[in-house]
Amino acid sequence: MKIELKKFGEMLISRPAGREAYLAMLAYLIKGVSRDEIIEIDFGGVKVLTPSWADEVITKLAAEFKNIKLLNTQNSTVAATLRTLIKYSDLKI
Amino acid sequence: MEKLAMKWVLDIGTDAISESYYCATRDVFQARLDNLLNDLLIIGKIDEGVAYLVSAIAGEIGNNSFDHNIGNWPSVPGVFFDWRANDGIEIVLADRGRGIMQTLKKVRPEIKNDQEAFRVAFFEKISGRAPEARGNGLKFVRESVKDQKIHLSFISGDAVAELNDDFNVGLAEQKINGCLAIIKI
Repeated sequence: MKIELKKFGEMLISRPAGREAYLAMLAYLIKGVSRDEIIEIDFGGVKVLTPSWADEVITKLAAEFKNIKLLNTQNSTVAATLRTLIKYSDLKI
Repeated sequence: MEKLAMKWVLDIGTDAISESYYCATRDVFQARLDNLLNDLLIIGKIDEGVAYLVSAIAGEIGNNSFDHNIGNWPSVPGVFFDWRANDGIEIVLADRGRGIMQTLKKVRPEIKNDQEAFRVAFFEKISGRAPEARGNGLKFVRESVKDQKIHLSFISGDAVAELNDDFNVGLAEQKINGCLAIIKI
């Protein structure tokens, strides 16, 4: 399944907003989805992403599902945020 | 703008600070952050990708103020947040919160002074809100500032850090209780 982050906004900044987004995903998007299913996280259309928001969403999705694919990660803040999470938040993708 | 922010942090005759600078809540800060990005894109002095990164840096610093002081503001809650574009672009954020050292001392009581707290905050994997696994913001800020040739001055307590290609920390001219960040591009 594909999760389009732009549907949560173009500026994904704060931890409370990230936590809210993840709870919405739990309730409506990934509920009942197998841990083995391929989860595509699409960053297309996101203008500003920070480690605070992403740590509440991306890190948790990566811990929950075995097969995570990241799409459209060219945005400067997306690339920098993913580097930070891999280095400091034990994000393994 | 720097002087006004310093006066506000020190609570020197700025009780009636303009609402155009002051963000009492995170919602107001978020809205002004949207305006910052729009202004950066309209001004056009920097590339679009850099404008996004600058917004992310300001977003991390401002949201840190709310994350680490919520329910525990020593005096006035919220942040000072403004920017100017002249020869370059200058962005100023400030808060009257507990500051870096007091925040980190909860989880690292051995920290001796503000300068040591800065080194922990900007380099080490640690959270001021442990046991929550969090605390990447200032590492992201440091690395983004270095990558994009931005200059950041960050003051908290009696320490000041100057970030660009290097990271230098020393004694600030004026001690403050919260945080003051000046971003120059």
